[in-house]
Amino acid sequence: MSYFVTPIAKLIEEFEKLPGIGPKSAQRLAFYVVNLPPEKALKLANAIKEAKEKVKYCSVCGNLTDKDPCMVCNSENRDRSVICVVENPRDIVAMEKTREFKGLYHVLHGAISPMEGIGPEDIKIKELLSRLQPGEVKEIIIATNPNIEGEATAMYIAKLLKPLGIKTTRIAHGIPVGGDLEYADEVTLAKALQGRREI
Amino acid sequence: MHIKEIKAVNFRNYSKLELSFSKDYNIIYGKNAQGKTNIIEALFLCSSGRSHRTKRDEELLKFDEENYYIKLVVDRRDMEKTIEIFYRLGERKRIKINDVYIKKNGELMGQLNTVLFSPEHMSIIKEGPSERRRFVDIAISQVKPAYFYDLQEYSRVLSQRNHLLKELKRENGGKKMKLKDTLEIWNEKLAETGSRIMYERHQYIKRLNLIAKENHKKLTGGREEIEIMYVPSFYQAGLPSVENIKVNFLKSVERDEEKELSAGVTLYGPQRDDIKIKVNNKNVRIYGSQGQQRTSVLTLKLSEINILRELAGENPVLLLDDVFSELDSVRQEYIIECIKDVQTFITSTDRSIYERISKNNANIYYVENGRVIREEDDE
Repeated sequence: MSYFVTPIAKLIEEFEKLPGIGPKSAQRLAFYVVNLPPEKALKLANAIKEAKEKVKYCSVCGNLTDKDPCMVCNSENRDRSVICVVENPRDIVAMEKTREFKGLYHVLHGAISPMEGIGPEDIKIKELLSRLQPGEVKEIIIATNPNIEGEATAMYIAKLLKPLGIKTTRIAHGIPVGGDLEYADEVTLAKALQGRREI
Repeated sequence: MHIKEIKAVNFRNYSKLELSFSKDYNIIYGKNAQGKTNIIEALFLCSSGRSHRTKRDEELLKFDEENYYIKLVVDRRDMEKTIEIFYRLGERKRIKINDVYIKKNGELMGQLNTVLFSPEHMSIIKEGPSERRRFVDIAISQVKPAYFYDLQEYSRVLSQRNHLLKELKRENGGKKMKLKDTLEIWNEKLAETGSRIMYERHQYIKRLNLIAKENHKKLTGGREEIEIMYVPSFYQAGLPSVENIKVNFLKSVERDEEKELSAGVTLYGPQRDDIKIKVNNKNVRIYGSQGQQRTSVLTLKLSEINILRELAGENPVLLLDDVFSELDSVRQEYIIECIKDVQTFITSTDRSIYERISKNNANIYYVENGRVIREEDDE
């Protein structure tokens, strides 16, 4: 038997499907929404609707955007000779926050993972290759996640790019800035040692 | 290192257990099914992050309870460490070291080094290769946390590669041929992590062989000679080095690509290693008598203590669960000789063990139905 009237039960069910939301949070959110003044609830509904209608993937880089091509791809101020390859649009946000990177992006929308049935043709590698006009792109920075699937994807892309003669780099991994060496785990520390450079 | 005290709540048949231990011998005796092994299990759990009897944490709960808690205070050469384990039904257990939650179970490795010897360890000799690999893996992980992480990474890469091989077998050169291009990458990842694991096993078993020879000779009064050999799944040319193993590994998978594709599974690597144990030049698994097999396991376990001491620079804690009283007096005496400075926990149904070991610094605990009573010395 259900403790909730159907519309609330339905709302809880929908909230529960969201990432990071468990049954308890879903319940709290549902009751919050039900108690909102009508215009505020409508505003929330409209925000969801509008985001869904207006946001699409950039036809060039695969980022989320409301204009096609996206802001980055369209910008006059970006360095068109460097492309940073990431797994998903959230990674672009992270990179942009650094304000260090002035080049373009390419979103793969995933990483190679046979366990999940994801092969090279299921992510946007073909699209990346078709962007590489001769002479224009000089460097590809591969910034996939430093886990097994991300590493495998990076290796695969590097292998494809090799015959094209484009410089391919992989972002470094190692000790977090502001952290203490003694608290770094062995794997990270070993990677940091491998990736050391002269100063 | 040694364990100073334990506190356990709602663990197995104990509602509440609080004991402090001797840094030499701790003898836990009582009738069968009273909870002797449960104490050993709690100690081992705090050392390795898992029970030696089950993979399922809910089995460790006291009947009808929803949480268990264990706390150990360990005295090490460098500092005192507190290890705490919290478990709640339906959740993952969480581990604190000196009041700080650890992020990965691997961080527990090496905090409290133990060598456990229980009747189930006969399977190292009697069963298939996976039991022998497990023995070596636990032993190495305790002193090399990087090895533990490599094992985890390897098993993930292996499972990815096996999925790919299965998929390729199903497709059989069909529409997804680009998939085959990715095999090379998984080969590389497999060989990279796999070669590190195999190198460590090479090194460990080489050392184990030397030390075991010594121990076994003394345990058998010179009548038997033991030999322990690493049997990797592919031929390894040249000296064992990470680089060399990797080259040979890649050669094997490249040469037998067709075979693997038709099998749909990875045929080479640490998951197919074996360790061969010979006594007087005969495979003890097949030709050894019950007694020879038992002595061989004892040799392995004593040698594990020696190597742990060598590599960690400190004695591990020895947990003898129901095995000591099974041994004849020659072997018992040799063990006592070997473990002079090692904190040892012995469980037995028989109190008389106490007479046979040095009476100094031995604590005796009587266990009955989830209650433990420490016997005070009247001497």
